[in-house]
Amino acid sequence: MNNRALWALYLVLAAYAVIALAPFFWMILTSFKEQRDLFRIPPDFTPTVLFSDTPLKNYAEVWTKRDFVIYFRNSVIVSFLAAIGQVMTCSLAGYAFAKMELPGKNLLFAVVLATAFVPAEVTIIPEFLLMRWLGWIDTWLPLIVPSFLVGAFGTFMLREYFGALPDEYGEAAVIDGANPFQVFRRIYLPLAQPALIAIFVIAFINNWDELLRPLIFLNSPELFTVPLGLLSFFSQYEAAWHQLMAGSVISVLPLILVYVLTQRYVLQGFMGGGVK
Amino acid sequence: MKLPRYTRAHLWPLAFLAPTIVGLLVFRLLPIFWSFGLSFADWQIFDAPSFAGLDNYVGLFTSPTTLKVFRVSALFTLLYVPGAVGLALALAVILNSGLKGMAFFRGAFFLPYITSVVAVTLVWRWIFATRFGLLNNALDWIGIEANPAWLADPGFALPAVVIVSVWRDAGFYMLLLLAGLQTINDEYYEAAKVDGANAWQRFRKITVPLLSRSLFFVLIVALIKSTQTFEITYALTEGGPNGATTTLAFAIYHRAFIDFEMGQAAALSYVLCVVLGLLTLLNFHFRRRWVHE
Repeated sequence: MNNRALWALYLVLAAYAVIALAPFFWMILTSFKEQRDLFRIPPDFTPTVLFSDTPLKNYAEVWTKRDFVIYFRNSVIVSFLAAIGQVMTCSLAGYAFAKMELPGKNLLFAVVLATAFVPAEVTIIPEFLLMRWLGWIDTWLPLIVPSFLVGAFGTFMLREYFGALPDEYGEAAVIDGANPFQVFRRIYLPLAQPALIAIFVIAFINNWDELLRPLIFLNSPELFTVPLGLLSFFSQYEAAWHQLMAGSVISVLPLILVYVLTQRYVLQGFMGGGVK
Repeated sequence: MKLPRYTRAHLWPLAFLAPTIVGLLVFRLLPIFWSFGLSFADWQIFDAPSFAGLDNYVGLFTSPTTLKVFRVSALFTLLYVPGAVGLALALAVILNSGLKGMAFFRGAFFLPYITSVVAVTLVWRWIFATRFGLLNNALDWIGIEANPAWLADPGFALPAVVIVSVWRDAGFYMLLLLAGLQTINDEYYEAAKVDGANAWQRFRKITVPLLSRSLFFVLIVALIKSTQTFEITYALTEGGPNGATTTLAFAIYHRAFIDFEMGQAAALSYVLCVVLGLLTLLNFHFRRRWVHE
């Protein structure tokens, strides 16, 4: 490739990188500004607060006075439990589909996959009625319990993963008197660690980000997750962008952190599974 | 036909699959059928439901509001799918040409997809704001004083939602296409170069056919995703102005949980289901014709 073409390609990449990253740049910059500097023309690029005596002033404000400490804690609890649920149920199901004999299991697997393509909007109305009947409205149970029961993407991914591991590993343990659960728990599960991490992280990110279900199931502000907290803050203090952006950084940070730490596994998971 | 015989040996796999079976019945199959039943009911959540026959469905196709929802949804899909997939393809092909710094660009492009959608959409809401919006400020600054009301003008609001959606998802599609590109053997390109094919010919004759599998998969994923857009609409325009950005998924939410018209919402959700079913059938049909296996 000649030099000029190379420069052109880099220019395109750099231009799109600016577009992809600019909102994050602005988010972080604004979270370190004073309110009076928000709407200057031409725009002001100095993070004034960062150079003051109280560099994290806006963060401290939203964290304590605007209840983000509560939203954050709620989101951590809900996303963590839902992700654990997905890892448990998907690893059991994926293993059974890959390594155990059961008449009709392929049909069952096909139904699990097929129903995954039915969008949340179709099932959300009966789901709401069901949760209301169970008395679970305005609790976290509707956000957590379903994750302990079924997960198509994780089941699909782990079925592939366990299927690729040799049967002989388990046969040796059976001769030594291990029961099927012990074979699964002691031999195959540790080998699936990369896939389990990918499933945990993807489920954590999805649940952290979920808007529709928290919106429908939660009414009390003290139960709100971060996305609901952001929206309710926005509707109350529309012009307080410096604080809203601090709240946004708080909501984005755990995801970036988790993603960077586990990028290796997650990229494989996203690329291999295809569906979010 | 012989029914399968279940023995004690099958208790283990059944135990392993018990959560999945319960979850499938309670949270997947039951709601799917329940929703279907509801779509024939006249029911505002606070009174008793009554049987309405096909009224809900007839209503959908005669009321101007829902006809507008269908129009807006179709327009959204028409703008979003080519935009997001085209951009993703361009980025993936460039990234795959062996440039330095690929990991950085890949990470930067994927970042919008893994970060909190509500948080980044609120930034875009500021970018598009009429007064003190970053875009209008920038236009002012360079001397254009048009100040369009991006999110309050029906002509601009839907493109704004499309832009944010494309911005968010393109990196994900790029990643899927990149996985496909990496399976193409470099020798094809070398051979084509020897034969004197230029860059466009190599793209057209090697990349496109050999990538057709991934490309088709990405197109289908993008099509399906385009019918389900909710979070960005909710945080950017709340479906407005005057329904200009109310797509199918958002309309279902609004009809069910703001208007409490459960029957109508269920009927609308079944329309979405049928649309997705048709897309899946089209997928199978065209896959055989277009995809180079």
